[in-house]
Amino acid sequence: MTEPILEVNDLRVRFGTKRGVAEVVNGISYDLHPGETLAIVGESGSGKSVSVLALMGLLAQPPASVLGSARYRGEELLGMPAKDLRSIRGKRLAMIFQDPMTSLNPVRTVGYQLIEPMALHLNLKGGPARERGLELLELVGIPSPDARFSDYPHQLSGGMRQRVMIAMALACDPDVLIADEATTALDVTTQAQITDLVAELQQRIGMAVIWITHDLGVVASIADRVHVMYGGRFMEQAAVDDLYATPHHPYTEGLLGSLPMPGPDRPERLMTIPGLPPDPVTMPSGCSFAPRCTYADTDRCLQAVPPMELLGNLHSTACFYPLAVAR
Amino acid sequence: MSPRSLTGQSDLDERNMTGFLIRRMMQMALALLGVSIVVFALMHLVPGDPVRVALGTRFDQDLYDALTKRVGLDKPLIEQYFSWLANAITGDLGVSFRNGQPVTTLILERLPATVTLALAALLIALVVALPAGIISAVRSGTPLDYTVSAASQVGISMPDFWAGVMYILLFALTLGWLPSSGYTPFSNSAWEWARHLVLPALTIGLISGSIITRFVRSAVLEALNQDYVLTARAKGLSEWQIVRRHVLPNAWIPIVTIVGLQLGFLLGGVVVTEVIFAWPGLGRLALTAVKDRDFTVLQGAVLYIAFMFLTINLVVDIIYARLDPRVRVS
Amino acid sequence: MSGSTEFDRLATKPVSRTRETLQALVANRLAVAGLIVLSLLVIVGIFGEVIAPYGINDIDIPNRLTRPSGSHWFGTDELGRDVMSRVLIAARVSLQVGFIAVGFALVVGVPIGLVSGYYRGTIDSVLMRMMDVLFSFPAILLAIAILAVLGPGVGNAMIAIGLVYTPIFARITRGSVLVVSGEVYIRAARSLGAGDRRIIFRHILPNVLAPIIVQTTLSLAFAILSEAALSFLGLGVQPPNPAWGRMLAEGRNFFEQAPWMGIFPGLAILVTVMSFNFVGDGLRDALDPKQKSVIESRGQSV
Repeated sequence: MTEPILEVNDLRVRFGTKRGVAEVVNGISYDLHPGETLAIVGESGSGKSVSVLALMGLLAQPPASVLGSARYRGEELLGMPAKDLRSIRGKRLAMIFQDPMTSLNPVRTVGYQLIEPMALHLNLKGGPARERGLELLELVGIPSPDARFSDYPHQLSGGMRQRVMIAMALACDPDVLIADEATTALDVTTQAQITDLVAELQQRIGMAVIWITHDLGVVASIADRVHVMYGGRFMEQAAVDDLYATPHHPYTEGLLGSLPMPGPDRPERLMTIPGLPPDPVTMPSGCSFAPRCTYADTDRCLQAVPPMELLGNLHSTACFYPLAVAR
Repeated sequence: MSPRSLTGQSDLDERNMTGFLIRRMMQMALALLGVSIVVFALMHLVPGDPVRVALGTRFDQDLYDALTKRVGLDKPLIEQYFSWLANAITGDLGVSFRNGQPVTTLILERLPATVTLALAALLIALVVALPAGIISAVRSGTPLDYTVSAASQVGISMPDFWAGVMYILLFALTLGWLPSSGYTPFSNSAWEWARHLVLPALTIGLISGSIITRFVRSAVLEALNQDYVLTARAKGLSEWQIVRRHVLPNAWIPIVTIVGLQLGFLLGGVVVTEVIFAWPGLGRLALTAVKDRDFTVLQGAVLYIAFMFLTINLVVDIIYARLDPRVRVS
Repeated sequence: MSGSTEFDRLATKPVSRTRETLQALVANRLAVAGLIVLSLLVIVGIFGEVIAPYGINDIDIPNRLTRPSGSHWFGTDELGRDVMSRVLIAARVSLQVGFIAVGFALVVGVPIGLVSGYYRGTIDSVLMRMMDVLFSFPAILLAIAILAVLGPGVGNAMIAIGLVYTPIFARITRGSVLVVSGEVYIRAARSLGAGDRRIIFRHILPNVLAPIIVQTTLSLAFAILSEAALSFLGLGVQPPNPAWGRMLAEGRNFFEQAPWMGIFPGLAILVTVMSFNFVGDGLRDALDPKQKSVIESRGQSV
């Protein structure tokens, strides 16, 4: 196995709010290897987006405070001087966001925004930069790149804009691409096009991808591994097929149950998980999912945080009563 | 929001821009027509005979007859309006009741002083407001931001006549650095021109600057909170690169509007400041006309100022459209 | 009309936010400071004669132009009158002009905005073009022109200032009505057959109050500023009644000997206007964070 490109260790993020301290990310750890696709799945408010914004140094501190460790090729990112971090951000670690409608600057042309990271990190300007820009637009499947180069974002459709965002992220050949709910704002057909595009580009370029989403359906087609996040913690982590076949955590089971599945053995009705996600200001002292869990017992689940335990081949879960496992 | 159109992009843009211009100019023409009616009504709403009122104790039958005939008061109201309007369009605004001089000449005489003061004040306002507004937005929530906000709050609430009087007290009467009032044309002495300009320009410029500061701050703050700023951060741009390349180009759009509005009213003459500093501008011309009941001069000045105001607004809209590609190309 | 009570309840929801708004306002220290100053001003406005140490026209020639001291905190003017007493008593006329002028603008402007925004079409175009015309003049110039017709005086100044501030209320009301009219509960009320009058007063007006309240507070600030400017120019309050603007104008002639004649009335204007602005900003933050009306109001009125 290769050296991990990104090692995250006990990452914690807190926000000072008027009501008190919100514990949004409560100690997550993972390794990301070159060329791998890791999906982090969770409901909104689970802390998944915040966790990647934190390691990219994109959270304003204060109000946020970020603890733990996140190493890129062995170099600690948290607490790195802003100038050094900026030379990694956008070059080695690139990111695309949820809403392509608002993530591009409306008064700058597509070309300007595309060339910007190249000029910044690769000192590529003028003709060569434009050439590479056009190549990138072609690469992400934008027809007649020459004409689009001088267009403004509002002249493109949502799917096209997300392609531009991807082209921008790829401008400096990053090692890691972080896609934060990158398909959520798009319609279903476009979603599939964008996920396929990222998967294809990954094959070609060999970068690692962290795919942040609330949609387990999207994950199935592209991820190697899945981490299920809830209340700022990982509940379960497994290879994607394993997770679908034998979910060990009640929360994962709930998520899968709420997913419309084709096939002969699909349930009559979709399941829903009763209750609401926990309030990060008043986190439960035990398992964060316990208050909504049908299997939870009052003694252990509400008292102590279950540790992450390896239960099978690279499949681990943080539950005192894992499902589908002989106890 | 509109999807990209596939063909004839550039032709379409030209047509839309022209259409926009034509629409705005028609609106302005309509507003001007309304303004002309209001201004015309000014004289005719005055109870009694305006010429008699204007002449007051200096009443003289020959002068009275001449003025009445010149203004056309002996004709029906509608006819009076249209001949007044026709004359106004050709630049003939009648003669002063007071001294028989053409109103257009009186206005043109006052123009250099007004334009000088307006531009100097705007310059001061921008020099103060742009850095202050931008810095306080970028450093929002810091003591620096609070200081700027407090200062601009004082400026916005400041009566211009009081500020002017205080400057005179300090810089002219106590320190003796600058003249307390008056105007010297640039052609006579550049040095004296500048010395006389400082205090009135400061009086109105700092108030105007306070208003613009608040607007700049909120425009920049709003742009800073947009998603594309996060994109720019993720690219690895530094804070000031982001402000320069991504925030300001968006913030300019609303800022241009308020700056234009300020210039529009500055060019209309700032009555109170002109009175305090004995500045021979349009505002003082209008005020003197009110006190002298010199209605033709008042009409002319008000019509001219409103025209200026509307023209500036039109220019601002055009600049606005040029700055915002969503208007320019859609 | 069976469903209408339900919609009435929905429609009046913003008003029941009063408590929340007050809490937000109290949390804003500047707004609280503004409110305290304004309350004191109102008390001074009502009980001015009782509070003031001297009468407004107590002439005392031997003690003319004396500097501030224990017996005359703000000094005396060219006739030996007590500047502080005159400043205190002049608070009344400033507040009166402010409230009456803005009341006038409200009573005229809000209905215009309601009608324009609700009925749209021709009547909207006609009314808004009329408002455009009023907006084509710098505020102080328009007030001066109106006073040229009506003649100087405090009552006419109220009308002039009221007219100047009418279009902004019409525009703000219209803009909010346009937004609210698209809401589901308005369409629902209409589909249930509620009459125009009922919809406008029961459903729309309560929902557009927030920006109007904010604008009222901010307009009070600038109406008082306008009154002071008009009185300074000799077009507002007439002698022998004291007004802040006029006291400043009179003080100019004695400025070298007695700067206090101008300093204190000016400070009174500044503090009053600033207090209204603080309260207005606080209300805006609490009620209607997107509104930027302070800029618009003053943008017209320096």
